[in-house]
Amino acid sequence: MALIQPDLTKELKKYGAFDFNACYNCGTCTSVCTLSTEDNSFPREMVRYSVLGLEDDLKSSLKPWLCYYCGQCTENCPQEASPGELMMSLRRWLTAKYDWTGLSGLFYKSWPLTVLGFILILAAEIGFAARLHFHIDRIIYYGHYFEMFSILGVFTIILLPNIIRMWYFTLLKRKIKAPIKAYYTAISDLIVHMFTQKRSLDCDDNKFRWFEHFILVIGYLSLLFTTVFLNWFETSNLFINILGYLESAVIFIVTFDFVLSRIKKNKEMNKSSQPSDWFFVIWLLFMGITAFVVRLFIDIHLIDIHSTVMNSWSWVYMFHLMILGQWALIIVPFGKWTHFLYRSFGMYFAKIEELAK
Amino acid sequence: MKKKIGVYVCHCGGNISDYVDIEKVKDAVRDEADVFLVKNTLFACADSSQKMMEEDIKTQGLDAMVVASCSPKLHLNTFRGVAQRGGLNPYNYVQVNIREQDSWAHSDNPAGATEKAIQLVKAGIARAKESEALTSMKIATTNAVAVIGAGVGGMRTALGLADMGTEVYLIEKSFFVGGRTAQWGSVAPTNDRGDVLTAGLFNEIQKRSNIKLFTGAELIEKKGSVGNFDIKVKIRPRGFDGNATTDEIQKAVKACPVSTMDEFNFGLTQRTAILIPQKGQYPQQPAIDKALCNQCGACQKINSSFQPASTNEEILSLHIGGFVANTGFDPYEPAKGEYGYGEIDNVITLPQFKRLIELNDNELVFKGKKVKKIAYIYCVGSRQDDDEGKNKYCSRYCCTSATHTGVTVKNKYKDVLNYHFNRGIRTYGKAELIYGQASQQGDVFLQFTLDSIPQVERKHNKTYVKVKDILTAGKTIETDADLVVLVTGMVPRENVELGHLLKIPEGRDHFFNEIHMKLKPVETVIDGVMIAGTSQAPKNILETLNSSMAAAAKVNSVLTKGELSLEPTLAKVNPGACTWCGKCAEACPFDAIVQVDNEGKMVAKVNEANCKGCGMCTPVCPTDAIDLDGFTNAQIGAMIDALAEL
Repeated sequence: MALIQPDLTKELKKYGAFDFNACYNCGTCTSVCTLSTEDNSFPREMVRYSVLGLEDDLKSSLKPWLCYYCGQCTENCPQEASPGELMMSLRRWLTAKYDWTGLSGLFYKSWPLTVLGFILILAAEIGFAARLHFHIDRIIYYGHYFEMFSILGVFTIILLPNIIRMWYFTLLKRKIKAPIKAYYTAISDLIVHMFTQKRSLDCDDNKFRWFEHFILVIGYLSLLFTTVFLNWFETSNLFINILGYLESAVIFIVTFDFVLSRIKKNKEMNKSSQPSDWFFVIWLLFMGITAFVVRLFIDIHLIDIHSTVMNSWSWVYMFHLMILGQWALIIVPFGKWTHFLYRSFGMYFAKIEELAK
Repeated sequence: MKKKIGVYVCHCGGNISDYVDIEKVKDAVRDEADVFLVKNTLFACADSSQKMMEEDIKTQGLDAMVVASCSPKLHLNTFRGVAQRGGLNPYNYVQVNIREQDSWAHSDNPAGATEKAIQLVKAGIARAKESEALTSMKIATTNAVAVIGAGVGGMRTALGLADMGTEVYLIEKSFFVGGRTAQWGSVAPTNDRGDVLTAGLFNEIQKRSNIKLFTGAELIEKKGSVGNFDIKVKIRPRGFDGNATTDEIQKAVKACPVSTMDEFNFGLTQRTAILIPQKGQYPQQPAIDKALCNQCGACQKINSSFQPASTNEEILSLHIGGFVANTGFDPYEPAKGEYGYGEIDNVITLPQFKRLIELNDNELVFKGKKVKKIAYIYCVGSRQDDDEGKNKYCSRYCCTSATHTGVTVKNKYKDVLNYHFNRGIRTYGKAELIYGQASQQGDVFLQFTLDSIPQVERKHNKTYVKVKDILTAGKTIETDADLVVLVTGMVPRENVELGHLLKIPEGRDHFFNEIHMKLKPVETVIDGVMIAGTSQAPKNILETLNSSMAAAAKVNSVLTKGELSLEPTLAKVNPGACTWCGKCAEACPFDAIVQVDNEGKMVAKVNEANCKGCGMCTPVCPTDAIDLDGFTNAQIGAMIDALAEL
């Protein structure tokens, strides 16, 4: 038995969903979806739960993570109820539900709050630089440490507990009894989906998009590794240096294309971008560009990483650090970045559920 | 006796000739006495065959004709036309059915089929021999119509008839015209107001001098037949005659000591014995409810126009040509306990809810509590699994009305939530847009089947509605509700007396029955009596008005010529043989036989305008005094003899 909760229906609209009330339950969305299966059928069921506001059923569902927003459902919906956008909104809402701090929900629902967060981080950065008397060598030195500690901190304090919560809502609370072996067997699925997004290839006409996304993920992860663990900005190793250039170039070229398609709205999934979507692609674009430019300035000696003097070119590094801070402390733990984790863990848990049967 | 009979045997392509040996049939009847010629035709109904038969009648001087072909239902009139064009009386033509009743029925036995065809044709010839020329008679008609019921439908019928020049007597049982529509407030799909619709119609009626409106009036007697009915109408005293100011009327209402539930608001409010016209009800003059009034005289003291003691009942005699019964419906009254109705106090019907909306201007309040969540349960009293046939039908108006009401309350009171528990939404035609509107505004639709209907229960001081929702894969979904609205269907209005008086047949669902839903949608088997609106079946206002206009046109088309020609196949009484036992009058389903004095002897007489030539009277007559033209005892006897002769 489930109680209708009209407030939840209203709440979902704050996460970007619209018009899903127009659904008259024909099921066209589910029948055209190339990813929907007999055991895991969506989006109609999700639309129905959303219309009725069945919070427990939505919170325990992995189905939103199984959708890759090809947009077929929305294109074919005779009632123009935008089921695709509802699935997207459910992913945002779930991200907020998994987040124990509750900040995700606040940031998703209010872009001014996100901007305020960005400003606070900028202020902290300036304050930090002032404490170091604007000695650029020390800022870059500590900036590198900041990267390492923020990754460790965000992962252990925010993301890990959130994934445990996700596991609790979707498997434990639903009393799905899976043997330990299933958790082990399914790991390969987790890895494959995390790095390749293989499932989205099943969506029609998605090959190029998949390729772009794939090299972006690889480029992003390897740039992370190159800057944090190989210390790209301070390295003198030519191979590492060129690798860094390549990786940052991949990031800004691909994200530039993503931003462009969101502006042109040339695909169903790009038609209704929320602030969280814009922040994600634009910050990623800036990160790629600024990383590339900072290293370029170092190589052509416009920035001297051993100098204590803050010349005007060094402000590019300050800008890069600001983007990095905002990215690492807001977008990664509370924003769209988390879909990287939840999607792959969604596939992982779905596989475990399948093995438990 | 006819002496020159032409016989035509039809092949009907191969429909007959594949099984019946046409040549054998021809040979068998060729030598029958008085048969002048025998021919076969490939298709008797073909133009060339018809021409040939016409020529035969003219040149050979045939005095009767037999065509052995298909059912008379198909081509009787075709060949009667042939006879007439050839110069023969159409009633000297006899059709023999050797297709439906022979070749098709006995396709497995050609020899037997041929045998049967011979017998049938011989019987046909025997009947033709005895046939007589008949001519139809004409009667004068009165171009005046009694329209019974002055709701939207009845008023529209009256206007339609008046504009075609027919005299109209509009007879309304209650003291006000307007009917159900005056009660509804905003109505689908155009958001017109019911009271505005009835006001407009009443206004138009006032302008026409050939419409006589009687309120508080009832038909009590009917005599005669189509074109010439004599009726009596009883008019109850209104109990108010003259003028009174609004203030005086209000004072009188206050002074009245009696109280009962107000039918106009379906019991949501109380009224006194003084009936005050509501918005949309006319004439805008009060009346006194005699059944309730205790004659205390309090109202009369305020204004002497109130006459509670008045008893001057009036009986009017009118002469008319036809009727239109537009007597409307009653909303289905749920049984006590049906979805908690009558037991849980916030369970009401849709008609009550429509009144509640009219009574609440700014805030939706029911029994002192603000209403936010409304659960509508559809198909209450409609589409029920009833062996008797009652309430089996869909009431047509309710899905549209309920979704429209959902939209109306949402617009009027803003933060209202609507939950529609339905059995499949049937907002057909343009009303589909209302369903779309309801969905778009966030109304929630849940669907159930008759096997698992919603449960309404009271717990924790709240009313809950629970259902196995088909649209959520059979999951049990529940909601609390401040108001549960039972979307009730239409049932036939209690009209037994009128039905008996006019002899209008009822269907299994107890609505009045037309002859044919599609081909004769407003005519009854009683000539001159039309039915329209929701007296026939559940209808929305639009459909009611369509049928009301149709009934106006149909009854006018019967009466406007001033005369009617009747089928000549009528019963005839031989007064010499008749001893008036009354058996024929008892057998007659159309009240066509009356008792008259014939030179000092009581005998039966046929009212020809009423007689339908059904023949029910002839076999019951013990003295063979009654005969039916076109199917006389002599004809039928001759046919039996011919069939028996093997």
